[in-house]
Amino acid sequence: MALIELRDVSKSYKRDAIEIPVLDRVSITVDAGDFLGLMGPSGSGKSTLLNLLAGIDRPSRGAIRIGDTEISTLSERSLAGWRARHIGFIFQLYNLIPVLTAFENVELPLLLTNLSKKQRRDHVMTALGIVGLGDREKHYPRQLSGGQEQRVAIARAIVTDPTLLLADEPTGDLDAKSAGEVLTLLQRLNQEYKKTIIMVTHDPHAAERASHLLHLEKGTLVEQTAVGR
Amino acid sequence: MKFLGLVMKSARRSKRRTLLTVMSVAIAVFLFAALRAVLDGFNASAEASSSTRIVTLRSTSLMFQMPTSHAEAIKATPGVQDLTWANWFGGIYKDPKNFFGQFAIDPESYLRLYPEIVLDPEEQKAFLEDRTGCIVGDGLAKIYGFKVGDKITLQVGIPVYGQRDFDFTVRAIYRTSGAAVDNQSMFFHWKYADERSLLKGQVGWFIAQISNPAQATQVAQAIDQKFANSSYETKTDTEREFQSSFVSMFGNLSLLLGSISLAVVISTLFVAGNTMAMSVRERTTEIAVMRTLGFPSSTIFLLVAGEGLMMSLIGGILGVGLARAIVNPNFLNAGGFIPAIGVNNMNVLVGLMLSVLIGLLAGLIPATVASRLKIVDALRQVA
Repeated sequence: MALIELRDVSKSYKRDAIEIPVLDRVSITVDAGDFLGLMGPSGSGKSTLLNLLAGIDRPSRGAIRIGDTEISTLSERSLAGWRARHIGFIFQLYNLIPVLTAFENVELPLLLTNLSKKQRRDHVMTALGIVGLGDREKHYPRQLSGGQEQRVAIARAIVTDPTLLLADEPTGDLDAKSAGEVLTLLQRLNQEYKKTIIMVTHDPHAAERASHLLHLEKGTLVEQTAVGR
Repeated sequence: MKFLGLVMKSARRSKRRTLLTVMSVAIAVFLFAALRAVLDGFNASAEASSSTRIVTLRSTSLMFQMPTSHAEAIKATPGVQDLTWANWFGGIYKDPKNFFGQFAIDPESYLRLYPEIVLDPEEQKAFLEDRTGCIVGDGLAKIYGFKVGDKITLQVGIPVYGQRDFDFTVRAIYRTSGAAVDNQSMFFHWKYADERSLLKGQVGWFIAQISNPAQATQVAQAIDQKFANSSYETKTDTEREFQSSFVSMFGNLSLLLGSISLAVVISTLFVAGNTMAMSVRERTTEIAVMRTLGFPSSTIFLLVAGEGLMMSLIGGILGVGLARAIVNPNFLNAGGFIPAIGVNNMNVLVGLMLSVLIGLLAGLIPATVASRLKIVDALRQVA
C-alpha cells in the first residue's frame, strides 16, 4: 500500500469574496521510502501541496491519506498531535528559534513527548550527530553559517523519527557548496535511514537528487518523471 | 516544568523590554503595598483604641486650646473615672525634616491612662522626678540613636512657647503594648512647657477614662453640655473617633490612596499588555513554526500567557520585597502619625495576587491571538 494517497485534492483561497484556485483535482500516490521532488513555476501550487501534506492547511475538496490516517478529517488538536508524531518539516529560511541553542532547537519537538530529559538528550545528540553538528550543540543560530543552520533544522525535523520529511526549497537560501551538503544529507536520510522525503524545489540540481519528480503548473499535475540516480 | 525553560528563554529575548516591564509591575505593586500599609497603619491605630477612653477637644479645631480649669468640670462628670491631658508641642529637633510627635503631658495621670506605654519602673521614677525629663519611643530612639541620659534640645516650633530652646534629658525609652500609641514619639512634662508658654494653663486635649464603654456617648454629651455657650466649647468623642478625625484632616485618605493604587495598576496593566502584544507580533513566524512542529494551540496559549505571568510575578515579588524592606518603622519615619506602619502578610499576598492578575490580563489577548494564528498565513509573512 502506498504511504501517501491524494484523491482529487483541490484547494482555493478567498480574497475579498473572489475564489482563487491554487490546486485543481490533484491525485498522487507516494510509496514509503520514496524521495519525491515537486517542481513548477511560482504560483503553481507546489508549496500549497506540501502544506496540505504537512497538515498545516486543509484541502477545499478531496481526501489525503497518509499511512492509516485520513488527515483531512482530523480536528485541529488531533492534527497537531499527528504532525508531532509523523511530520518533519524543513523550511527554506531554516526558521530556528534565535534564543535557543542548536540543542534546544532540536529538542523542541521532543518537549511534546513523554520522553525523560536523558532520553531527549540522547535523541537530540543522535540527530545532531547524523547532520554532523554534534559539536555545535551549544551554539546559537547566529553563531552558525546558513548551511549549518539548515542542518540543525534538518536535525529538528528528524529527531522524532517522523514518517515523512517535507522540505520547502531547503537549498533556496544557501550557496552552492552548502546546498550540495544539505542535498547529500537529505539523500543519505532517504537511502540509509529509509526516510520518505518530499521536497519542493526550483533548482534542477536539487531535483536531480530525487528519485521521482512531479511537475505542477497552474495547480494541476502536468508530468511525473522517474529520475535515475 | 519542561516548558519553563522555553518561557524563560522567550522572556529574555529582549532583556531591556522585559526588565522595564518587570520594573513597572514592581513599582506598581510596591506603591500598592506601601499605600495599603499607610491605610492599615491608620486603621490599626483606630482599631487598637481603648473603648474606655474619650477625648475632649475644642469644638472649633484641634489647633485651638482650652483652659486647665476644664479638668475639674470633666472629672466631676458622672461616669468619668480618671483624667489626663496633653498638648502638641511641635518643636524642631536640629532640622525641620526630623519630624516626630512631641507631646507635653501630665506624666502621672497620662501613664496611668495609657498602660500601653511600657516603661522600666526605675526609669519611670526618674522621668516623673525630673521636670525637664522626657521619654522617647524605642522606634524613635533607634532612628536618632537616643539613649537614657542623652540631652535633647528642641527649637520652638509654635510661637506660643516663646523663642528659647527647650532642653530635655532622656530618662526612659518606652516600648508599646498596643497600636494606640506609636513608638516614635516623645513625651515630657506639661508643666515644663506651660511655665514658658505665653498663654498659661492651656491644654490641647483631655483624655477621660470612663467606667462603662456603653455609656461613652452619654458621658461625652454631658461633658460638652457643661461647656456649651462658653468661650471654650468642646467636642468629645471616643478615642477611635478622635483617631479617625485626626486622619480625616488629610482628607478622604482611603479614596485618595485607593484611586492612586488603581490608576497605577491599570496603567501598568496597559504597559505589560502592550509588551506582550509586541512580543507576540515579533514572534509570529516562530509561533507558526512551533505549531508546524505539532505544538497544540492550547500549549501556545499557555506558553505566551505563562511568559506574561512570570514577568509580572517576578515584578510582584520585587515590589512586595521592596515594600517590606522600606515601609516599616525601622526604615521609614512616619513622624508618629502611623504607629503601626508596615506591610503585613495579607498585603504581601494581595500584592502578589495583583501581580498575577496583571500578568494574566496582560497575557490574555496576546496569548489568544498567538493560539489562533493560522500557520500558513503566518509562514507566508516571511516567505
